[in-house]
Amino acid sequence: MKNEEYDKLIKEIVVEDNIVGNIIISFFSGGLIGLIGEIISNFIFKNFNTTLSDSYMITFMIFIFIGSLLTGLGFFDKILSVCKCGLIVPSTGFANTMTSSAMDTRSEGFIKGIGSSIFKLTGSIILYGIVFGIIFGFIRGMLL
Amino acid sequence: MTNYYNDVYIKDKYSLLASKKYNPVVIPNVNKIIEDYYMGEKSIELAESKYQEITIKYLKNKYKKIDLIISGDLQNQILSSTLASSKFKLPTLGIYSACASFIEGIIIASSIINNNKCNIIVSTSSHNLVSEKQFRFPVEYGAVRKRVNTCTASGSVSAIITNEKSNIKIESSTIGFITQTNHRDANDMGSAMAPSCAEVLNMHLKNTNRSIDYYDLILTGDLGEYGLKIMKRYFKIINGKSLNNVIDSGNIFYKDKNIYAGASGPACLPLVFFDYIIPKKKYKKILLIGTGSMHSVTSTNLKVPIPSISHAIGLEVNC
Repeated sequence: MKNEEYDKLIKEIVVEDNIVGNIIISFFSGGLIGLIGEIISNFIFKNFNTTLSDSYMITFMIFIFIGSLLTGLGFFDKILSVCKCGLIVPSTGFANTMTSSAMDTRSEGFIKGIGSSIFKLTGSIILYGIVFGIIFGFIRGMLL
Repeated sequence: MTNYYNDVYIKDKYSLLASKKYNPVVIPNVNKIIEDYYMGEKSIELAESKYQEITIKYLKNKYKKIDLIISGDLQNQILSSTLASSKFKLPTLGIYSACASFIEGIIIASSIINNNKCNIIVSTSSHNLVSEKQFRFPVEYGAVRKRVNTCTASGSVSAIITNEKSNIKIESSTIGFITQTNHRDANDMGSAMAPSCAEVLNMHLKNTNRSIDYYDLILTGDLGEYGLKIMKRYFKIINGKSLNNVIDSGNIFYKDKNIYAGASGPACLPLVFFDYIIPKKKYKKILLIGTGSMHSVTSTNLKVPIPSISHAIGLEVNC
């Protein structure tokens, strides 16, 4: 059997995941997280003596803490199977990625285990975040 | 390549199940159930070697005279098999053909026993968290699962193969060749393994001049729900006959409804065979086909099409 025919056979039999459904769920779950973030940051801004950007930063840290805590307790992947990507895109996903890598390699020691593996998955997010930050910052500086 | 054996028998086995998640079908008959992913060890890798050690130890204590251990698992450099065998000071062969390791081990053992009298233990193990960590993502990482993903069964099975007569006779074996299609998605191992499974089945029937109806049951390894369907279709195209007497152990392994397409792992096929099919006492002639997807993290990152291998052994069960 030729490879192309086999590809066709797979396509015929394997039921594709419902991408549209997942996107809709992610849209609402991600939006819900954004709403909660907005409420928290507004609350901090109004009740504590902070600037607006500081209150966003504190909200960010709260989300990272919650994401890491839920990962450590083993709930994050269960919640994620319901909420889909709505939880990965915000900072909770970033926290989950780092914490899960660290937990996996804890037994291999602090230096060669956690130290070298904690950025295994997030390394590319950080690297390309910085690279594109520079590029777009440059474009912005040129245009404005 | 097809071999015939005169008096090679599977005398006894010891099976261990390490997780009751999704209610596996083998629970009533399995020898030991330990619901512990760590076994008091520092890491999950060492726990897996402990599973294998328990199963080998039982057979060694029971039968005393053991000449060789053949073992394999999914870890890098088959670590857990090596560690488990290191406790016994017995000659050891380590093998790797992913989820077909157990069948490969039986084929090697049978070929050795066919010519000289000895007792050989064939052992294998798999651990859900180890495979997640090794082949997919970190354990607690929230990756969205696809429908084609399989869930690795945790446990270990050891079997002792001898010249002495017993209920299960190994009468023939076929060693398969490695197939490779365009398929590159490591999440969908069923589609990668289906061609090799169909090819080895076709080759076995051709070499032995048997029809499909000769076997009461063809038990495949861990193709999963979709892989089994693809295998049936593929077989029909290359052989012309349709398969009706085939069961996939990965497909039936979990009784509870779950998000996966079935179970996988080297322990899946022997667990289902010894603790679900044999106790049924329904089938006399059984063909076991172990299916292995030979990808690694490197091959996935290099976007190499997944190579896969299958081996088959023909059994005569008398009970």
